[in-house]
Amino acid sequence: MLVLYPFIYGFLTSISLSLLGVSLGELFTVFLPRVRTMVVVLYVGLFAMSFDFVSGYTGYLSFGHAMFYGIGAYFVVLVGTGKIPGLPAETPFMLIIVLAGVLAFLAALAVGAVSFRLTGVYFAMVTLGFAEVAHVFIRNWSYVGSNPRDGVGVVGRDGFAVGIPGIDALQFRLGRLAGDSFENVLGTGIDLGAAEVSFYAVGAVVLVCYFAMQRIIHSPFGRVMVAIRENEERAEAVGYNTFWYKLGAFGISGFFAAIGGALFAGYRRSVAPENTFDLFVTADALLAAIIGGFGTLAGALYGHLFHEFLQGIFTTESSGLARFLRDTLSEGILSAGVGEFTVLEFINVFIDGRAELYLGVIFVAFVLFVPRGILGSLRDRLGGPLAETIPERLRRYRR
Amino acid sequence: MSLLEVEDIHSYYGESHILQGISLEVEPGECVALIGRNGVGKTTTLRSILQLTPPREGTVRYRGEDVTGRPTHEVARMGVGWVPEERRMFSHLTVDENIRIATPPGNSVEAAFERAYSAFPELESHRGREAGDLSGGQQQMVAIARGLVGDNDLLLVDEPSEGLAPQIVAAVAEALKTVAEESTVLLVEQNFPLAMDVADRFYLLDHGTVVESGSTENVTRDDEMIRRYLSA
Repeated sequence: MLVLYPFIYGFLTSISLSLLGVSLGELFTVFLPRVRTMVVVLYVGLFAMSFDFVSGYTGYLSFGHAMFYGIGAYFVVLVGTGKIPGLPAETPFMLIIVLAGVLAFLAALAVGAVSFRLTGVYFAMVTLGFAEVAHVFIRNWSYVGSNPRDGVGVVGRDGFAVGIPGIDALQFRLGRLAGDSFENVLGTGIDLGAAEVSFYAVGAVVLVCYFAMQRIIHSPFGRVMVAIRENEERAEAVGYNTFWYKLGAFGISGFFAAIGGALFAGYRRSVAPENTFDLFVTADALLAAIIGGFGTLAGALYGHLFHEFLQGIFTTESSGLARFLRDTLSEGILSAGVGEFTVLEFINVFIDGRAELYLGVIFVAFVLFVPRGILGSLRDRLGGPLAETIPERLRRYRR
Repeated sequence: MSLLEVEDIHSYYGESHILQGISLEVEPGECVALIGRNGVGKTTTLRSILQLTPPREGTVRYRGEDVTGRPTHEVARMGVGWVPEERRMFSHLTVDENIRIATPPGNSVEAAFERAYSAFPELESHRGREAGDLSGGQQQMVAIARGLVGDNDLLLVDEPSEGLAPQIVAAVAEALKTVAEESTVLLVEQNFPLAMDVADRFYLLDHGTVVESGSTENVTRDDEMIRRYLSA
């Protein structure tokens, strides 16, 4: 489904058929996330999965996870502006990504070495403390740029390309403006715009990271992570030094969080303290993991897709529901209402840019009624991971 | 030399003084039962031996080595296994994974499966299921099997019969006897007949101290001492 998304989106939004005077294509434009939003879903989804990797599988809530995302993002921009000694500005993006991950891995080991002396709420608070220190630091570190509070952008460098280093034909530059676009791909008549190219390039990296994390979780190391979540004392009594396992999991999680951040910076070509090191960035990951299903890994990506889906509907931009209603509904309906409070007023107050209003309510509802999240509940219903149970079900229906 | 020597240990939960000078010894090959009413410190004694609740005073020696204050995983690696009460296991891991995780690095996992499933044939057909989905008796078997495959010379077994139906208790008792033949066991048990049936010796605890000890032969429930400390 996700692989074909740009085409599905392109097809559905171009339908010119009308139903009850409303164009179907326009309806899809309102309710479906745009392809460039899907790019965001991918890299933030990777960050949310890395959060779930440590928090959902060992049970230790990392409230400072934004720090690792930020390290990845800033590292890309600093390399791109030639500010990392020893690394030229034109260093291949793939190499930068890996280095960013390694840097965050080391940072996570350092933070974890202190934080894992504590458990529960205290652990969460100490990691949060570290991230806030990093946040304040990056806001005031003038080496980053002339105005560190507002963030920095990449100037000069062409763009950041996902691909195999050394082979020019297999380089795909990211970005809405600087990205590559292709017409008539391999003679198939399909055109790919910059957003579509970014979608596939970022998606390929995210997919590799997902499989890597999935592999680790199903390895003996990952089984010990789950054992720690279920009963840490018991894991110790079996003879595991849980400290090293927790630290390892935290480091790996930091590595992948930084790759998420690096993709973000590579795509956007600019970073700011508020969209990298901020507590709200961690909160987005927590929200995604809870909605998607804690301890399901892939669920976190779907959780963030849900988040962006809502945000897309309630956006103030031209593809939002508010604009659509104002344009579609007749003057008579818009001005109807009780006294001053008209339908138009309702749209302005409760729909236009009000996604946060509903997200909060949905978050509470999920915690109360769907504690296993979207993917967790689906797995419970089907009795196993979707990749195993869905083919099984389909086979049964075919008979 | 005794396998385990506990000498005058005092342990606390916060400010409450739970163990008030417990001393006991376990010889290699023995099965020793700790009996006593609820809340007298039986489970805490096991936790103190494993250093999950390290004693503030006194010493715990294993194979003559002082392990007091050492990290739990080190004590575990020296060969002390734990079968915790309420069958606490990794309920989201499968039966196989529970066995695998308890197998020390370097040991053959296949051999561990072989050992576990020959001791508990009933578990074999449930190998791929999550341990949390099994019946109470089966979960207890997984818990004991895990202790069995851990290459443990001393197995601390906490209340294996708790919350189980009588017929299942009998099955668990048989399993315990098998285990006791192969390794040294320190058993905490509320079920008096079961404890007397399985164990060679016993320690009777009350208010965090040992009030009586001896061979389990010829001890009956009617014993005046036993009656005084066991009847609620």
